[in-house]
Amino acid sequence: MTKKIPIRDYTLFFAIIGIWAFFAIMNPSFLGARNLSMLTIEISTTAVAALGVLLIIVCGHIDLAVGSGIGLFGGIAAVLTTAFGLPAPISMTLALIAAILIWTGMGALIVKQRIPAFIVTLGGLLIFKGVFWNVINTSTIPIVEGGKENLYSILTTQYLSPSISYMVTAFVVIAMGVSNLRARSNRKQHNFEVDDGEIAFYKFFIVSICMFIATTILNEYRGIPLSALILGIVAVGIYVLTQHLKFGRHLYAIGGNEEAAHISGVPVGKVTIGAFAIAGALVAITGFLQTSYAGSSTTSVGDLMELDAIAACVIGGVSLKGGKGTVIGVLAGSLIMASLLNGMTLMSVDPATKFIARGLVLTLAVWMDVRMNKS
Amino acid sequence: MKENVVLHAKKVSKTFPGVKALSEVGFDLAKGEVHALCGENGAGKSTLIKILSGIWAQGTYDGAFFVDGTEANFQGIKDAELAGIAVIYQELALVNDMTVAENIYLGHEPMMGVLIDWNKMYTDTSELLRHFKIDIDPTARVGDLGVGKQQLVEIVKALRKESHILILDEPTAALTEHEVDILIEMLRDLKKRGIACIYISHKLDEVFSISDRITVLRDGHTIKTLETSETTAAEVIQLMVGREIDDLFPRRKSACGENLLEVRGLSVKGPEDAIDLQGISFSVRKGEVLGLGGLMGAGRTETLMHIMGAYGEREEGSVALHGKSYEGQSPQAAIEAGMVLVSEDRKRFGLVIEQSNNFNFSLSSLDSISNKVGKMDTNKEFQKNEKTSRQLRVKAPSLETVTGTLSGGNQQKVVLGKALLSEPEVIFLDEPTRGIDVGAKLEVYELINRLTDEGKAVVLVSSELPELMGMSDRIMMLFEGRIGGEFAKEEFNQEALIGAAIGQSL
Repeated sequence: MTKKIPIRDYTLFFAIIGIWAFFAIMNPSFLGARNLSMLTIEISTTAVAALGVLLIIVCGHIDLAVGSGIGLFGGIAAVLTTAFGLPAPISMTLALIAAILIWTGMGALIVKQRIPAFIVTLGGLLIFKGVFWNVINTSTIPIVEGGKENLYSILTTQYLSPSISYMVTAFVVIAMGVSNLRARSNRKQHNFEVDDGEIAFYKFFIVSICMFIATTILNEYRGIPLSALILGIVAVGIYVLTQHLKFGRHLYAIGGNEEAAHISGVPVGKVTIGAFAIAGALVAITGFLQTSYAGSSTTSVGDLMELDAIAACVIGGVSLKGGKGTVIGVLAGSLIMASLLNGMTLMSVDPATKFIARGLVLTLAVWMDVRMNKS
Repeated sequence: MKENVVLHAKKVSKTFPGVKALSEVGFDLAKGEVHALCGENGAGKSTLIKILSGIWAQGTYDGAFFVDGTEANFQGIKDAELAGIAVIYQELALVNDMTVAENIYLGHEPMMGVLIDWNKMYTDTSELLRHFKIDIDPTARVGDLGVGKQQLVEIVKALRKESHILILDEPTAALTEHEVDILIEMLRDLKKRGIACIYISHKLDEVFSISDRITVLRDGHTIKTLETSETTAAEVIQLMVGREIDDLFPRRKSACGENLLEVRGLSVKGPEDAIDLQGISFSVRKGEVLGLGGLMGAGRTETLMHIMGAYGEREEGSVALHGKSYEGQSPQAAIEAGMVLVSEDRKRFGLVIEQSNNFNFSLSSLDSISNKVGKMDTNKEFQKNEKTSRQLRVKAPSLETVTGTLSGGNQQKVVLGKALLSEPEVIFLDEPTRGIDVGAKLEVYELINRLTDEGKAVVLVSSELPELMGMSDRIMMLFEGRIGGEFAKEEFNQEALIGAAIGQSL
């Protein structure tokens, strides 16, 4: 059996092409090696945060505390490293543990005390922002003693060398091809719908070509940024978690119908709290990336990133009612949100207009989604 | 009768991608008549109703139908309403947080200038209710009423619009017998006033007590229109199924073994102290079907849900499985211990409706397809689910079909399949045949036989006495959270069972 081509899968693709074409025309340096490298790093931070939010939205909740958390945990790691003189890996590990504990605590409040996630994380947004400003004393804390480098600072300044970049890309393409073929034969064996062979090949071919072109351009600058590799690992991890682990199946069941999941033997509380714990870890990692990208921890790090993360999810087709959403969708959504911000910055659009544009894009995306689901 | 035809359908056909739902269906409805529409799930009843009520706009189907002699050209529900057609669906469309009167006048509130005339609304409503002899307070919040009373409110709401054609889709699925009587009384009154009804129900005894004519649909075709007074239930069933059914309740006695489940002196405090269970004791043996009866709210569902760990707090009592005390307090623990519940409310407690059959089938048995770190073997999953789907004869294009798109009977099979895949010893079936057709019912009964043959224990909850008596080896009736009476197979008789259900042990 072959299936009809769902338009939805392609609208995101064309939206990205459209946005990129627009910015490239407005300012050709948008597609230049240097800007693409910056854009890659920006996508990485948005997407890591959005993947955490994905888990929370899929099980039917929401997380508004992401942005404040990004600032806070980036700040804690910075203070531990420079003010307390701890080695960067240790400071980051401590901040990571703190993030997991705090997000687990929020999950527990939501599950055990039945406080809506909206309220718990809205409270978190304010509390963490306040704590963050206290931690960094409302000043600017560098992440490394002047001029030197540590694990924290290289997160967004380290690049894979061109030859390694090509090897990584080739590895990813081969792995993708093999897993596609395996899934395909598996599905055929059970008489499930599969894409027409030719279409499947072209899809794979186009994606591979795009990846090699991107690698070549990135190599013109300094290679694939380390942050992209981190995103890759996180994305594969969340993909396996949502598609191949029992935990993921439970998440979708809870988001789809919590009562039915409970009666069917799904440990609703544990799984929900687990989703928050993982999201917390991703908030911390985003915090390190974002703070590293800014070069130091200041009060504005992480501002409004919760909204970018939620927007990326929604644009990527994640249902705010829960129970629906994919890693690929979130990556595409993140790509759109990050491209918009980057492109507008490049065009020197004033901050006020940036806010308005981001809001319009989000609303437009959801409106289109609603329209398409109707027809 | 001919000149009094208020609705006449002529060669109505409707095709969905891959399925012909209706082919050249003819149907007519006379003034003041109750015309029953019978057929199995998927026979085309719902599709026909959707066309008559404007949900499928003109142009999306072939053929035509005429209301009061003029060809209908409905573009939406509003057009149908204007033509005097009102539909009451199985699923209620009331706003729980509004009062009875507000619901009845929703969208048509009596006005005093720009303000709502609340006085008029409430007095008119209480007059309407009194007229139909319905004992409901117009100021009650709809969410606080039972499902049965909500159904009555829905009907009153439809009648207020001064419709002269009323379509009732399974109106009694959730009603108690008393409420069914009120409804039937109402319909008789409506007939006198010249209102015509199309009545859809799986319950043939109701169809026979209220209808004037019966039209049977099968596979999208009109099979026959019968005068109710000149036919029998057996004939209607035969026409619906297309073959003869010898035995409506084919219970085979299985060899009974030792006690599997023993419940002793269960007393349970419900949430908000709503329903208390008191002194509930029973046991079920291997290969035995224990019927659990009683009126709605007698505590049947609550008893099962409590044992599963999903309802109330235990004050006293104990549960033992295989002679060993069972202390689990969550559905997860219950399923691990070998118990499983098929809920009466499959949309709420049974299915993740937007997910695939594959997803729903394996939801309770993910452990059996996962390794230690929780990685699932999807190949093994497909194989197990495919086998179950075939065994239960689920009619669906593939395992990846979204469960919500299936008919009620097939959805119920998916819930049953999910329960069976968890390899249970004790199976709680709460109204397993509610709202499904005769053919699917028989399959459920056969399944019960198969389970007991395999040495499993079944607890069957049913509101329909014939089913309870036909399929149980033993019956326990509940009355207001207590045991109302226990009956061995030889002692089954309707009067005694009903007596026990209303606390009048004979």
